[in-house]
Amino acid sequence: MKLTSAAILMATLFTQTVLAHSTGRVFVTNERSNTVSVINGTTHQLEATIEIGERPRGIGISPDGSEVYVAISKEDKIAVFDPKSLKVLRKFNAGEDPEAFAVHPNGNIYISNEDSAKATVINPKNGVVITEVSVGLEPEGVAISPDGKRVIITSESTNMLHVIAVPEHKIISNILVGARPRAATFTHDGKFSYATAEIGGEVIKVEMASGKIVQRVSLGDDKAKPKDILLSKDGKSLYVAGGRLNQVMVLDSESLALIKGIPVGKRVWGLAMSKDGKSLYSSNGVSSDVSIINTVNNSVIATTKVGKFPWGIVIDD
Amino acid sequence: MLKTLRLDCVTLFMYGAFIASSSIAHASEIKLSFIGDNPSQAFLGVQQGIDEANIQGAFLGQNYNLTIKPSSSVAIFAAVEAKYISQLSKAYPKKIIFNLTEEDNYLRTECFANVLHIPPSKAMKDDAKSQWLKKHPHSEAKAQTWHSSFRKYAAGQLNSRFTQSYAHEMTDTAWAGWAAVKLLTDSIARHQLDDSASLLRYLKTELAFDGQKGISLSFRETGQLRQPLLLIENGKIAGEAPVRGVTKTINLDSLGLTHCPK
Repeated sequence: MKLTSAAILMATLFTQTVLAHSTGRVFVTNERSNTVSVINGTTHQLEATIEIGERPRGIGISPDGSEVYVAISKEDKIAVFDPKSLKVLRKFNAGEDPEAFAVHPNGNIYISNEDSAKATVINPKNGVVITEVSVGLEPEGVAISPDGKRVIITSESTNMLHVIAVPEHKIISNILVGARPRAATFTHDGKFSYATAEIGGEVIKVEMASGKIVQRVSLGDDKAKPKDILLSKDGKSLYVAGGRLNQVMVLDSESLALIKGIPVGKRVWGLAMSKDGKSLYSSNGVSSDVSIINTVNNSVIATTKVGKFPWGIVIDD
Repeated sequence: MLKTLRLDCVTLFMYGAFIASSSIAHASEIKLSFIGDNPSQAFLGVQQGIDEANIQGAFLGQNYNLTIKPSSSVAIFAAVEAKYISQLSKAYPKKIIFNLTEEDNYLRTECFANVLHIPPSKAMKDDAKSQWLKKHPHSEAKAQTWHSSFRKYAAGQLNSRFTQSYAHEMTDTAWAGWAAVKLLTDSIARHQLDDSASLLRYLKTELAFDGQKGISLSFRETGQLRQPLLLIENGKIAGEAPVRGVTKTINLDSLGLTHCPK
């Protein structure tokens, strides 16, 4: 018993040490430049550009912050680089056409394989495929619940959210939503999730226990093709990348009412938030830049030029 | 230790309950029929649509099959000459008839209660071309429903799936067959509707369909599917209609007849 407590204490200390050494950098995949842009999180200046592989899209960081993973779709692989040295460490097979993925608190990664209607679970340390789960057509968005027990995969051409139980890796519910669901996110208590439907132009809220849609809202603008979705740290606001609307939309997470549209670059798809919840980053595909938003007043404080078609963002904080 | 075990039992029990509530004991068998040449591009499109619908159905409890008896089907997919469309409409007044191939304007002005037209009418194509000419006066482009080199809006994924299934490029009528099946079956799954009358009402008033053309598609009161068109020049995609800059917003109703004649 004493040994266990000591181990937990040591693990906590270790985690804190690692966090203290995080680089504060923001990494952005550039789908059409085959690169990752490295942005300084304090000055917002472009620090470096990494040649990563063909068609980089999804990006994520290991729980201990030691490795960054990038889905290089055209090579059917995940590339791994060191956030400190920026050196590409290795690449491993990730199934056909890996697109988006999420990193589980246990370190495994959950990938959507767009062309083969599957989700693949991989241990990125050794590249071993743990399992594959058949889902609908054109799987894309991946979201993991805060407790790690549920994974949502969105299938864009089957219009569903598939809820996978972890560690069983069985689908426990299939929720039909609006046309072309692209991304999902959980509430901090894991009891609900939110998802975007790009062609349907709507945001939906799902109660996880029942697998039922409890709320849905149309974004009411034909140009609003919502993609990424994130919840603020206090849980009160939802941030939605508005696509062709060229805005990050801020919705009240309770009423789903639109509070504000934050003008950003052209064709905004990707979103990421700092751990302290104070900074939000958006990747703007057509204008090839990243907007940095202060979430206290929801306004853009800086814009940084990156490569062509920036897609995914991850922050090493 | 005992506490942990108990917790596990509860978790397992709950997990079992989830499975039971989400799986449907009997998949409902839904029959669809096709009238036209087989093989044909329209038929392959319908077949591709059914294969994809059955992927969705496997999760939600529907199984779709083709039948040779239109009387026992929910909908009839027709790849027949225009003159037979009105005959089919009269012969099967309680079925939904999907026109997959015919572009004649008069089929739209007839406003058959039970016919839905997937291909764009000639008038839609003409409007698409004249919008395009306003911006590109010397262009010789023609308007099409679809193109095998179309990649945007996940059109590329659909083209790849079709080519993988049939070793053939997806043509306009193949897309029409696919789209008709997908929009019908997605509506069936969504509202657990299996009678033609409620389905037809839903399709004509509430449909928001992703035809992998980048915008939500729906039906006009004429029975015509609203959709963007492609402008093809020298075998390549030159642009899309409604043409940006010519129409203020992406107004799909700037193409062709929008209402039934009074």
